Amino acid sequence: MKAWLVSSVKPDEFAEKDPKSGVLFEALVGREHIREVAREFRTQGWFLESISIVDFAECFEIVYHFNKWGVARRACVKTLALKAEGEAASAPSISDVFRAANWHEREAYDMFGLVFEGHPNLKRLLLPETSKIHPLRKSFKGEPKGSDVEDSLRLIQEDTEGFEVRYPSQLTKSQKDYYLNLGPQHPSTHGVLRVLLHLDGERVLDGEPVLGYSHRNQEKMFEIQNYLACWPQFGRLDYVGAMAFNFGYAHLIEKAMGIEATPRAQAIRVLATELNRISSHLLWMGTFLLDLGAFTPFFYCFDDREKIIDILEMATGERLTYDYFRFGGLDHDIPEEMLPAVKAFVPEFKKRLKDYHKLVTKNPIFISRTRGLGVLTKDQALNYGVSGPCLRASGVRQDLRRDEPYSIYPTLDFDVPTMTDGDVWSRYTIRMREMEESLKIVSQLVEKIPAGDVTLGKLPKNVPKGEYYSAVESARGAFGIYLVSDGTLNPYRMKLRTPSFCNLSAFSEMIPGCLLSDVIAILGSIDIVLPEIDR
Amino acid sequence: MADPIKEPQLYKNPAYLQTQSPAPGIVNLFHVEDVLNMARANSLWPLTFGLACCAIEMMAGGAARYDLDRFGFGVFRPSPRQADVMIVSGTISRKMVPCIKTLYDQMPSPKYVIAMGGCATAGGPFKFPGQYGILEGIDKIIPVNVYIPGCPPRPEALIAGILELQKQIKAGNVQGVMSPAAVNDSQDARPAEYKNAVSRADFRKPAAPAAPAAPASAEPKA
Repeated sequence: MKAWLVSSVKPDEFAEKDPKSGVLFEALVGREHIREVAREFRTQGWFLESISIVDFAECFEIVYHFNKWGVARRACVKTLALKAEGEAASAPSISDVFRAANWHEREAYDMFGLVFEGHPNLKRLLLPETSKIHPLRKSFKGEPKGSDVEDSLRLIQEDTEGFEVRYPSQLTKSQKDYYLNLGPQHPSTHGVLRVLLHLDGERVLDGEPVLGYSHRNQEKMFEIQNYLACWPQFGRLDYVGAMAFNFGYAHLIEKAMGIEATPRAQAIRVLATELNRISSHLLWMGTFLLDLGAFTPFFYCFDDREKIIDILEMATGERLTYDYFRFGGLDHDIPEEMLPAVKAFVPEFKKRLKDYHKLVTKNPIFISRTRGLGVLTKDQALNYGVSGPCLRASGVRQDLRRDEPYSIYPTLDFDVPTMTDGDVWSRYTIRMREMEESLKIVSQLVEKIPAGDVTLGKLPKNVPKGEYYSAVESARGAFGIYLVSDGTLNPYRMKLRTPSFCNLSAFSEMIPGCLLSDVIAILGSIDIVLPEIDR
Repeated sequence: MADPIKEPQLYKNPAYLQTQSPAPGIVNLFHVEDVLNMARANSLWPLTFGLACCAIEMMAGGAARYDLDRFGFGVFRPSPRQADVMIVSGTISRKMVPCIKTLYDQMPSPKYVIAMGGCATAGGPFKFPGQYGILEGIDKIIPVNVYIPGCPPRPEALIAGILELQKQIKAGNVQGVMSPAAVNDSQDARPAEYKNAVSRADFRKPAAPAAPAAPASAEPKA
């Protein structure tokens, strides 16, 4: 790939990177070449991980991260979109090459006003469609006080006046198809997702998720806060699996600063993350089965989840939005009574897992409702940049804990379960097996947590100038952060590549042809957390 | 002495009614209202409606360990037409505001609102000078009965909030008993600066100068 890039595109800049940093090479190519480059990456089996935009004084820098599952091989390709007086900056769209680019480009248009030429559906993704701001531009200095009420009232008014919703196609009376809004207030959308469904009778023709109902301006906040003040945001991004997001941020900054956490802190981090992964999957299982109409597992799952929360609460003092990690270690050490509690929990939960299998896995109703439903093929999954359990259910053996090892994961013994069908049932089975694997990690670790300090002491308050990308495996998939630091006390730009965002973009590929009630099952099987998608 | 049984028109005479204390001897409706309030307080049906992190704690509250059913609070209804408590659990993004307002308008009276967590109360950790995405507190749009602090509040805190709401309802001291889509100033107990919040019904009225022959749109019956 490197040789191809240098010989045929002749990039303006090309830099080999230390493979330890996760990026193999970095190239700056002209915007006329970017589609060609993307096509070549696609033919060689790479997939698009994220598109980030950085706003500089004279241009927007568009950063494409390509990756190949297997051993970590990440490549970074950049192109520039010059700002011109009086017209919008533009770049060619690659959404026909990589379907994953569709949402990333729409987000870039929404946040920066950057126009992608040739994009099939370039409209706002997160902000309301009538919004006039492009908030992540550096020239955007914030809205005046009291604008929130003003803006809300305007939106209510628009909503009331424009009561006839503008649907994608004009319907005539002879047509039998119709549109149906699922959400944003719907018990099965796990928050405030809205799906615009195109139906024929009860059969789904097409569907499109509408995002942004939980947009909380977090990426703008990162730019005005210092590095330490960004911590609480990470617990609130994916509140169900907050430890992994803590891990992602800690990993990024430690890599950038060139430090490493103490051994005891590393072990406790992994222990807490894996316990949190189990509790996240338990919450998913309970609500997923609740969506399918099974009420009992919800109570069982929440009962077990409370036990894990009790353990994590001993360490963190919080039940949900953990803010426990710090650069170089942890906020504080775990209390003495935590490890015995974990030891008691492990055999108990093993027994409960057997109960779950008896209760659900072999249930014929459950099997017939999930088998062969919402199939996502391997190629589609890679095209959309899907990661985590959804990707492993489609037959790709990918787990960043294995492929891009960080912390003490290489020293631990665990499996990466995969399935090949890519249907709802496979995604369920993968998560059930992952709970077993996580439990295996927990039971290994609890015996050998080393003694010592959990902090490194005083650290510099700023991150050295440069660009950094790091990714960790969260409960939902690969969570990547792209940081551009200018050496000051707060990040210049921090872009989050969140797993549910990419996983959900493949949703419209899974639903055509299924029944309305199956949409709920498919949506549940993706395991989305909305604030993490909308940020 | 006038006999009201023989002279029923006396009931229409205010001068006569003032002499009768507290009511003219048949039914004291104040006590009926007390009983109704007690019934309302002990069978509150919340709306299944989560916005962000706090929704998970709300779910935990409804699940096995905390069991909101103990307080007559566990029947979560997905339809606003069947619910009488709205728990605003999480950050209110501006894009979501019209939906919340619609849901509130669709709930039948008497209805109550609990603002759960920092975000629903005042914007929480996502509030900063110049923020562009969220609404800083749901009480700027709809009236709130009980605020629960925390980020997120524990289920115990939610239970405490519910008990406080029940206390208010039993005492007949709530602001949530107003007709839908018409939050009048006299019924609105919010601070003065929030009273500019307009209800959906106001928008539906035809504009006075613009449309001369526009028929008044049929107001949905409350």
